[in-house]
Amino acid sequence: MVSFIGRSIIQKIVTLFFVSVVSFLIIHLAPGEPSQVDPLNPKFTPEMVERFRQEFHLDKPLYIQYLYFYHDLFTGRTTSWKDNQSVLTKIWERFLNSLPLFIVGTILTWTLSFPIGIRSALFRGGAYDRGATFFSYLLISIPGFFFAYILIIFVVTRFHVPVIGMQTFGIGDATLPNLIMDRIWHLLIPSVLGATAGIAVLSRYVRSQMLEVEGQDYVRTAKAKGLPPDQVHYKHALRNALLPFVTMFGLILPGLIGGSVIIESIFSWPGMGRMAYEAILARDYPIILTVNFVSAILVLAGTFVSDVLYMVVDPRIRL
Amino acid sequence: MTVRRILIYTPIVVVIFLLQSYLWVPTYEEQSKGNPNRLNEYITASIGDAHVLNPVLSSDSASSQIENMVFEGLIDRDEDLNFRGRLATSWEIFEEAFFYINEEAEIPGVGRARAGEVVELLNKARAEDLPVTPQIKVSLGHIKEISTIPARNFTVTRIENKEKTNKRGKEIRIQVRAPARIKLVLDHVDQDLFQNLEVILGGDYFRSFDALSYVEVEGDIGRLKKEAYARQVLPPTEHNPIILFQLRPNVKFHDGHIFDANDVKFTYEALMNPKNLSPRVSNYEPVKEVEVVDPLTVRITYKRLYSLALSTWGMGILPEHILNDEALRKEAIELGKDPNKFSMRQSRFNRNPIGCGPFVFREWKSDQYIILDRFDEYWEGPPNYKRYIYRIIPDLLTQEMEFYAGTVDSYGVQPHQVERLKDDPQYQSFSGPSFGYTYIGYNMRRKPFDDRRVRTALSMAIDVDKIIKYVLYGQGERITGPFVKQTDYYNHSIKPIPYDPDGALRLLEEAGWRRSEKGWLEKDGKRFEFTLITNSGNDLRKAVLAIAQDGWRQIGIDVRTDLLEWAVFIQERVDKADFDALVLGWSMGIEPDLYEVFHSSQTNPDQLNFVGSKNEEADDLIIKVRREYNHEKQVEYCHRLHEIIATEQPYTFLYVAKWTAVLDKKIVIKETDPEGKVVYKKITPTKTGTYTFHFNKWIKLPEVPSFALEG
Repeated sequence: MVSFIGRSIIQKIVTLFFVSVVSFLIIHLAPGEPSQVDPLNPKFTPEMVERFRQEFHLDKPLYIQYLYFYHDLFTGRTTSWKDNQSVLTKIWERFLNSLPLFIVGTILTWTLSFPIGIRSALFRGGAYDRGATFFSYLLISIPGFFFAYILIIFVVTRFHVPVIGMQTFGIGDATLPNLIMDRIWHLLIPSVLGATAGIAVLSRYVRSQMLEVEGQDYVRTAKAKGLPPDQVHYKHALRNALLPFVTMFGLILPGLIGGSVIIESIFSWPGMGRMAYEAILARDYPIILTVNFVSAILVLAGTFVSDVLYMVVDPRIRL
Repeated sequence: MTVRRILIYTPIVVVIFLLQSYLWVPTYEEQSKGNPNRLNEYITASIGDAHVLNPVLSSDSASSQIENMVFEGLIDRDEDLNFRGRLATSWEIFEEAFFYINEEAEIPGVGRARAGEVVELLNKARAEDLPVTPQIKVSLGHIKEISTIPARNFTVTRIENKEKTNKRGKEIRIQVRAPARIKLVLDHVDQDLFQNLEVILGGDYFRSFDALSYVEVEGDIGRLKKEAYARQVLPPTEHNPIILFQLRPNVKFHDGHIFDANDVKFTYEALMNPKNLSPRVSNYEPVKEVEVVDPLTVRITYKRLYSLALSTWGMGILPEHILNDEALRKEAIELGKDPNKFSMRQSRFNRNPIGCGPFVFREWKSDQYIILDRFDEYWEGPPNYKRYIYRIIPDLLTQEMEFYAGTVDSYGVQPHQVERLKDDPQYQSFSGPSFGYTYIGYNMRRKPFDDRRVRTALSMAIDVDKIIKYVLYGQGERITGPFVKQTDYYNHSIKPIPYDPDGALRLLEEAGWRRSEKGWLEKDGKRFEFTLITNSGNDLRKAVLAIAQDGWRQIGIDVRTDLLEWAVFIQERVDKADFDALVLGWSMGIEPDLYEVFHSSQTNPDQLNFVGSKNEEADDLIIKVRREYNHEKQVEYCHRLHEIIATEQPYTFLYVAKWTAVLDKKIVIKETDPEGKVVYKKITPTKTGTYTFHFNKWIKLPEVPSFALEG
């Protein structure tokens, strides 16, 4: 176990190094300049463009720029080109905004998928199962932004309440419960949208896992023993069917930072995904690279956590 | 079975808890009824967030929208686009002109003359003792004072830059024995002054001035360079236009500090400070000196004729006491940063601006909102709205949804959205021509676009009216040249090129293009084919691309189209002039300066005359416009310039889009008449400006008022 952890950490650091190099290269190879440098503005003289490039070290060779950037990053001094704010502070603020969206979305996904999937498996081939299958595929195939628009237009024109942003604007001096509930309402629709695809996919997994386990000998034995069906399904079958999902839990970690670019942009939610997206449009290299680096760390940490979890939950597995 | 119950009841409880929150959220009507303060807040939506709230540093439109609220310039434009004093109460523009005595030149009737004799001659001319043409008389009439600056010796050092390396080159010392100089003070700026004086002083009095003979340059740098330095150090003639601003007394910054002339001087210095990397440097580069005459008078001297100068002083004035070197040093130490490297770019001021505009900055949450409160001590009286909120909503459709939900009072409404709301009794809508145009530019370096007839024919084959009707939903107007349509620089006598495919074919035939059996246009066995490009991500341009392609195919031109990502489009195609034709737009200032976009010196790679338009008369006029301070003359030059560009057709000028806006009808203008009675008026867009011109007088009422005098 200890040797596995040690090996895997070293491997991951090497991977991280390569990720940092490759992402740095890709971003610098892409055409375009930071948005501060506007080539179509008549008032921008070439000397000024040159001065900006010097200020951002863009005139240096790539490997020097690479060293500059990671040196600043590890000493915590990286600042965004757009507004001279510290990148780490910005990411932290955005992370806190994305977090509730992520938490509610995850709760919805994981609490709803199981009952839906289990029921489908238990009544396999029935009207409910077919209906669930149909809706799952519908939700998987419908584009997220399209669904979002439909839902927003429906809610706003029918109920005349605001849904965009993190709270109702101009709500004034409302009472505390009012303010809290208002925030929860604003969380609801984006997180439902974020969860739909997850529910559709995860409930399919649950269904197939349950079906597989239900066909095992020990389940048949349990049934033959005359145990009540509920006990067979929920104790003997479900527990074993749950195993793969424990590992999936580790893999949702990267979702924390990626957030959802589309949902956040549509709902003007000031989260991570939207910041990264806007940084890419403005060629704000420090932000893009830092977000990239942090998400690489999270992906690697996620796989690590899921490896370890697997070992903990299933004693049969040895790495 | 507990597991089963847990599995079923947890999601139900979660969902019910989330859904019940709906009951707590206010609807459109409740927002203003349940919360009277909402009527005192104005919320507007924008796609993008501001970058820095400092007029010296910012260059994006979101920042400047907020800066206009927080900061105040010396002047701005009134409803008819004339200049109007803000922090300045009045201003004077006059000129000091200089020339060196050319000791070698023969002055007609006088011979070689010294300074004293030249002054005498000019005085005689002014006293009308000499027979001169009326034109010269005008110039002489402008002269108010003539004086002599005696000859003097001085040394200047120049640093010679080595090309292609940014290292500082060696210093060059230049010894100058300057001859006597004549100083003229004029009450008007007169670009023809020296041209007219030359008639009196003899054919090439100024041109034959040999600067090199008064200059000794150290070191061996070659004759050409020496001459260049000599011309720089001793220019034969020099115009120094001067603007003298009288400032408004007792204007306060938001922190209570009184505004004075030092703030103006400081703002100029901050702009020019290389550490600040201001994107507006080029506007102020012609300034020679900003002097504080007294606390309420500023004198700005220019190095040369630059008629756009006045308009640059609309820029927001920064508070010196917060941003001067001493204050910045203090701030750097407080933040634990190196004071020597700390500049205005790093200052907290950029996210907490203080100006003397109508609104005080309150709070900024990146990508969420910027909140401003009204400034009760604003010199023109405080605005009606208590609070101005700038929300950032990156998606156009959700902006519209927020508008319906009542949490946004105005947003960047699109033409098709206006169409939807036009007849709704709850809303009022406005539109007007904006400051910019969309065009198709032809690469005139390439055949067959070097032929004016071909370009005109291409313009004739596009049905612009259809574009306006179907692509812009009628929210656009035709345009024939590169000036703002609502200004008098625009020449309205020029008619737009009509849609006439047959006429286009006739013109093309004149140029040698004939239709082949298959219907393609051919010349010398070669088919007329080219590629029309534009940037991706702009649906309007994409639609124009398709319509133009269709129009040209109908007369037998084989056009292909291509969409490119913005950065690639600019860097690989536009900057390198590697294209046949492109669809693009310019946004314009009110000032009629076409130098960067149409002057023939700007046709190199990375410059903005990428179509390669060259015309001598146009070049001359562009320069003249830049130097002319007299509005009527400027208008005259612009009209001629417009005519040349319209006939040359370097672009097919397509349309100027209209800005559009929709507001709740409850938002009105509230004024108090002299008797103290409150009067409500409907919001109407100004003749040439925008609908927000009277924003400080706006207010939202609980009900739509009945307007006493409708008209």
